[in-house]
Amino acid sequence: MPEPIRRIVAGLATLGLAIVVVVGLIAGEPSGSDRVGSLGNRIRCPVCQGEPISESSSETARAMMEIVAERVESGQSDGQIVDYFRDRYGDWVVLDPPFRGATLILWLLPVFALVGGIVVILGRVRGVHVEGNELEDPAP
Amino acid sequence: MSSALGYLGLLAALVSAAMLIVRGMTGLRRTERATPARTRLAALGLLVGTATAMFGLEFGLLTNDFSVEYIANNSATTTPFLFKVASAWAALEGSIILWVLVLAAFTYLVWLGHQRRGDGDRLGAGALMVMGMISLFFLALIVTVSNPFRLCITAAMVGCAESGSLPFAAFAAPLEGFGPNPLLQNHILMAVHPPLLYVGYIGLTVPFSFAMSALLLGQSGVEWLQRTRRWTLVAWIFLTAGILLGGLWSYEVLGWGGYWAWDPVENASLMPWLAATAFLHSAVVQLRRGMLQAWNFMLVIGAFALTILGTFLTRSGVIVSVHSFTQSAIGPMLLWFLMLIMVGSLTLFAFRIHLVASSPRLDSLASREGAFLLNNLLLTLFLFVVLAGTVYPMLIELFTGSQVGVGGPFFERIGLPLLLILIATIGFGSVAPYRSASRAVMWQRLRNPLRAVLAVVAMAVLLGARNRWILLTALVTGFAVAVIVRHLWASARAAADGQARQIPAAALRVMRNDTHYWGGQIAHVGVAVLALGIALSGNLGVEDELRFEPDQTSEFAGMELTYIESFVRQESNREVLGARIEIRRDGALISTLEPRLNRYFQTGQTVGTPSVNIRLGGDLYLSLVAISESSASLSVFWFPYIWLIWVGGGICVAGGAWAWLVKKPTRRRLVAEAHDGDAVSGGNRA
Repeated sequence: MPEPIRRIVAGLATLGLAIVVVVGLIAGEPSGSDRVGSLGNRIRCPVCQGEPISESSSETARAMMEIVAERVESGQSDGQIVDYFRDRYGDWVVLDPPFRGATLILWLLPVFALVGGIVVILGRVRGVHVEGNELEDPAP
Repeated sequence: MSSALGYLGLLAALVSAAMLIVRGMTGLRRTERATPARTRLAALGLLVGTATAMFGLEFGLLTNDFSVEYIANNSATTTPFLFKVASAWAALEGSIILWVLVLAAFTYLVWLGHQRRGDGDRLGAGALMVMGMISLFFLALIVTVSNPFRLCITAAMVGCAESGSLPFAAFAAPLEGFGPNPLLQNHILMAVHPPLLYVGYIGLTVPFSFAMSALLLGQSGVEWLQRTRRWTLVAWIFLTAGILLGGLWSYEVLGWGGYWAWDPVENASLMPWLAATAFLHSAVVQLRRGMLQAWNFMLVIGAFALTILGTFLTRSGVIVSVHSFTQSAIGPMLLWFLMLIMVGSLTLFAFRIHLVASSPRLDSLASREGAFLLNNLLLTLFLFVVLAGTVYPMLIELFTGSQVGVGGPFFERIGLPLLLILIATIGFGSVAPYRSASRAVMWQRLRNPLRAVLAVVAMAVLLGARNRWILLTALVTGFAVAVIVRHLWASARAAADGQARQIPAAALRVMRNDTHYWGGQIAHVGVAVLALGIALSGNLGVEDELRFEPDQTSEFAGMELTYIESFVRQESNREVLGARIEIRRDGALISTLEPRLNRYFQTGQTVGTPSVNIRLGGDLYLSLVAISESSASLSVFWFPYIWLIWVGGGICVAGGAWAWLVKKPTRRRLVAEAHDGDAVSGGNRA
């Protein structure tokens, strides 16, 4: 095959593969079709040493897992189930800190740090805004 | 006897540390005083003194000298030999003895380097002074509030009830000791994991000490970096291995099926690792391009402060976990020490920053330096998230009294995406040239790996793989590995002068010619493999609770599990209750597993030992929950490809070892990379 055609075919093949992968990613399932298990991972076992109820073998944790399973069965949303436990044990029982109140800052700090870091790095780039900054090496 | 010996060793070490500070300080201030001969006795005395203390403790443990409180309460006549040895670091006071011994060993190694430099090495003298200060603090901690050689003055039936602070007082020895914490005498890894972690933690003292010395001297440049690069690497290797074995221990012993719980103490070991990893990368930028001088000082200070924070978290009793030692008076002292380190080093840094910080600017973000910066940004961000998530709940509780929960879901939701971006950066950064990378060069280096990994992942999608996390992880990790393999292949082909049969030998030569770069690439492959293991085992794993009557068979993950019988076994220090379970697939016997519950006599506690069938396709993991005459309850897990985590971690350690241990070939000068048609602009040396 002549070189230009070969390149076009290779490019199209790569593009085709990329489309399959992207579609696969978009159409794919998010992990954790097991709702009971992933909810169990988010709720702390109240009588153990910093374990979620899904991983503890204590009776309390088992009973709580059963409550989670029942409520998932009866069609409650994740938020409702988590709130049920939060009402009984307080915010402490959730291993995933809520996106409000005292723990809102915990979620926002990484974002601020990321933005700050990017600003510092961009500030160190010489002439980052100059004429598009197209950099071409001499031929490899 | 062992107590007196150990105590004398501690005192000798204490005096030596004080001497090291004084002599190191005069050497730092005046060139003619900076001679190795003046610090020899102090460095040697520190090592001999701490080794004597350790010997005294081990001797007492092995001879069942229960007149020593620590031994009476942490060992027993029935404790197996290996766990007697490991008992020396299984509890608070003894663990600090190991701590100072490792620190003294590092100090002596630094002194040997100081000696090789000859007279006038002010930087080395200053580093020895700083190491002397840190040693003095920990030794003072031992002899005042955390002395493992306290004598028992009131014996209990088992163990010691009351002890006296005077080392040579009249004593009373109980007949039998308590034995170690059951969790800690349940597995061989217990003897290995803490010392590895200590070497890693304490190894970070060396770059910190040299950095402080360089700041005191107002010395800019890379000498302190060059001299401590190897130590940072050693610390990193041991830290990596220690964390990995900790995960393995958790998996093999605790029986909950996991290897990492985002427990504050696990986080405490992860944070210095993240800082050390960031430093290993940013040091390259300074050594090669003279950039990031000030940032490197910050990272080294941060890494060392985080090791002290970790020590504080483990030993102060502020948190409840499997790792924490009992509450004691050393917590506040460690906190003060941490404050002192932070305030002292940062003040020094602030006063000297004008002397040491000179940063040439970056030519382009699309370059090796750009990738290193991105790597540092992501690692520091990850570190920041772990730090905030670990410390914030404690601060909230301290100031408001209310408890908030920050656990696995928080760290994973932020950490896992960061990990994937980091691995994607490996794919780009490993082969990007310094200064600026042109599109043509990058496309040449990346296109085939990209096509290959797209083809594989597209195939997986067409064959029905649907899990988004797994596909994404496979894409990113596969890309990083493919880029590295292609780069090695291209470099080797060029070095082999087109002779196909020479390529394997040439690849080895290329890798030996630049051990730092290729050691790094081996570690990168390890990280990719590890990430794939996390994604596969985490997303495809299944678990269930099964209750068996005798001879009952249950289906689980395509296998048949049959409960055969229960058994009881008496051992010297414990009673073992177990269930024998046969595992069949399609009727053929695969394995017989024996998950157990061990009841330790001295403490009466029961600790489980899960039983795992390891196969290429995954691990079948059985954990016994309860057992009686008529039935057995088990937690059963199926973790596909979880061995990738251990193998990936092992590859990481091997990469570090390659950079540390493999010697450059000296006789035959290699022509490897200069020939590589596309590896221009010294793209490889890192």
